[in-house]
Amino acid sequence: MTDDRTAQRLDALIGDYLRGRTSRRRLVAEATRLGGLGLVAAALAPERRRAFAAPNVRSAVVSSAQSDKQPITDMTTPELLAFYDEVLPFRDQLPMEAGEVGGGPIKVGFSQTGFNHPWRVEMIKAAQAEVARHPNVSLVITDGNVDIRKQNNDVDDLLAQGVDAIVMSPVESAGLAPAALKVMAAGKPIVLLDRDVPNEKTLFIGQSNVTMAKGVAEAMVKALNGQGNVVELTGLIGSSPAIDRQKGMQEALAAAPGIKVVANGDAEWIRDPAVKLMDDFLVAHQDINAVFSHAEESSWGAQFSVARANRCAGKILHFTHDGSNAGFQSVKDGLFAADGNYSPFIGDVGVRAALMALQGQEIPNREEYEFEGFLYRLPDLPVVTAENADAWIGKGWGDFAPPENPCG
Amino acid sequence: MALQRSLPADRAARGPRRGVDVRDVLARYGTLIALVLLVVVAAALSPRFLTTVNLMNVLRQTSIVGVLGIGMTFVMLTAGIDLSVGAILAVSAVLLGGTLERTGNIWLALAVAPAAGMVVGLVNGLGVTWGRVQPFVMTLGMLGIARSLAFLYTGGEPIPILDMGFLRLGIGYVAGVPVPSVVFLLLLAAAALVLRYTPFGRYVYAIGSNEEAARLSGINVGLYKILVYVLSGATAAIAAILYGAQFAAAPAIAGEGYELDAIAAVVVGGTSLFGGQGGVIGTFLGALIIGILSNILNLTGVSPFAQPLAKGALIIAAVWIVGRGQRA
Repeated sequence: MTDDRTAQRLDALIGDYLRGRTSRRRLVAEATRLGGLGLVAAALAPERRRAFAAPNVRSAVVSSAQSDKQPITDMTTPELLAFYDEVLPFRDQLPMEAGEVGGGPIKVGFSQTGFNHPWRVEMIKAAQAEVARHPNVSLVITDGNVDIRKQNNDVDDLLAQGVDAIVMSPVESAGLAPAALKVMAAGKPIVLLDRDVPNEKTLFIGQSNVTMAKGVAEAMVKALNGQGNVVELTGLIGSSPAIDRQKGMQEALAAAPGIKVVANGDAEWIRDPAVKLMDDFLVAHQDINAVFSHAEESSWGAQFSVARANRCAGKILHFTHDGSNAGFQSVKDGLFAADGNYSPFIGDVGVRAALMALQGQEIPNREEYEFEGFLYRLPDLPVVTAENADAWIGKGWGDFAPPENPCG
Repeated sequence: MALQRSLPADRAARGPRRGVDVRDVLARYGTLIALVLLVVVAAALSPRFLTTVNLMNVLRQTSIVGVLGIGMTFVMLTAGIDLSVGAILAVSAVLLGGTLERTGNIWLALAVAPAAGMVVGLVNGLGVTWGRVQPFVMTLGMLGIARSLAFLYTGGEPIPILDMGFLRLGIGYVAGVPVPSVVFLLLLAAAALVLRYTPFGRYVYAIGSNEEAARLSGINVGLYKILVYVLSGATAAIAAILYGAQFAAAPAIAGEGYELDAIAAVVVGGTSLFGGQGGVIGTFLGALIIGILSNILNLTGVSPFAQPLAKGALIIAAVWIVGRGQRA
């Protein structure tokens, strides 16, 4: 921020945002483009916190008044509509015209795992955006507090409130099976997002961690020209996304015998275990070409370790996953070579599926699978690399700033 | 002759001349012997283990859990326990990050963190003494409360720390030693002196050995018990500063599970769970043992599935060895 004109434009942006003349998302996109995301984040710190200080809110009904801010996300209907058009990547999945759906008011319940992570809040935002397109539809959202019992109770509450359909992203697969059965028994559609339950449901909608990780690993094979040593930093050991991301990498590497995974460790999705692991791996291996990490946080941690060990000259490439705006910014900055795009913006698809089920429409391209009910596979979003990073910044989740590249 | 040989007086008289008493040596130096053995094995397993870079890494990696272990040692010497240190670390870290983000004032941030840690420690101490809640229960409850406060403050989003002046604390060196390790070693020296040479230190041992006897001999047991929990809160907050400086972020999940690492370091270091025995130098050695084990497992590429097994077995083995001696 040495450039005065850039600083002035950032000031004006912040002013516009505070006066409600521009959306948060546009602010972030613009600030990121100007390279001042960190500055804006710092300037808006208390404001931003309020936006995410949602855990107190137990449940709330979306009001249809245009100027009213929606709960949890703090966005007005026009902002949500703009967000729908500019950001949501899965608009073409189960597409639906804007406007009234069927006859009479429809109330959809959304039972979320918890509001404790921006990824979860962004999923809610996508659902609110879909609801904003249909004037006769309203949304009731509940916070599961990342607790199986609480989320089961939430679903009971939603049924008691007389919702017409429920969209749920379960805390845990088996633990929420009874809740899903209850909704089915009440004769109402239940659409599951991101995590399935092993029994009957209307539809499960998910992205594949396996194919996403395979895409990231293929980008790695290409960047390394099929030759090199890789260390793997996994997500929390034994968790299903970590198992799937490892599987995807192994599938891609099966076709690349020149690439060797020389070490792997449990970085728990976060930063501090990754720093420690990378410290040790850098001592043990003098010739690491790339780090394949299951989470952006772990990749940032690993890069700290690289810088501290004076190994920046080794040009170790980082291949990672999560799809946050900060991650995309790090791709642009050259800290990451590729970022797998695991999008939270599936809430809108869930709401559309619920509305279609209520209209008695069959879900196109749904598949039968191992459990009762149907599966709808979302296509993989493109892996974000230097080539498409600019287009994706602002279309990921979260509005926190990435750390500066310590090797930059 | 047979009768003479069995006389206790005779044995006592010959005792000192008989040379080494294995049990006594184990009790006094068991942890140190375990550490030396581990270093020898580690050096044999990996040629890179004894490089300066690696040893400095181990020292740096040990610093956060080691600092937590200092406060934990005081608490455990009084026969208490503090399960909330990881959560206090999180509260202090997010307040530190938040203060830095809002004001940019490093000194204010460096004051806010310990203040927060000591307030939480004070509540623990009051609960244990006035409230007569068992330390395990009091600090288990506080673990949940403090962690939740950290989440409510951040709303779940990690606070980035971008201040280069502050981050220098995490990446810098003093005379070739990483700054976090320097902080750890200075605190360790101070704690060892306090335990050895001050009335407070002696009261801590007295309370842990026999609380009733300590009370009857006029020691204000309640006051000193409160003080050890405040101290534990303060060291957790200092650990939070080291955390923020090393990882450039203050997430609400910071320090999750660290309480168990700290307790492991303390018990491996020979401090008894029942109080009255042990000290911070032992904790230092215990933290090093656990740090070196984890380091050598990574250097030799042991599967992450098997690593917790090795650590668990080592903790039990180390405490068993030291315990052999203490039963003498």
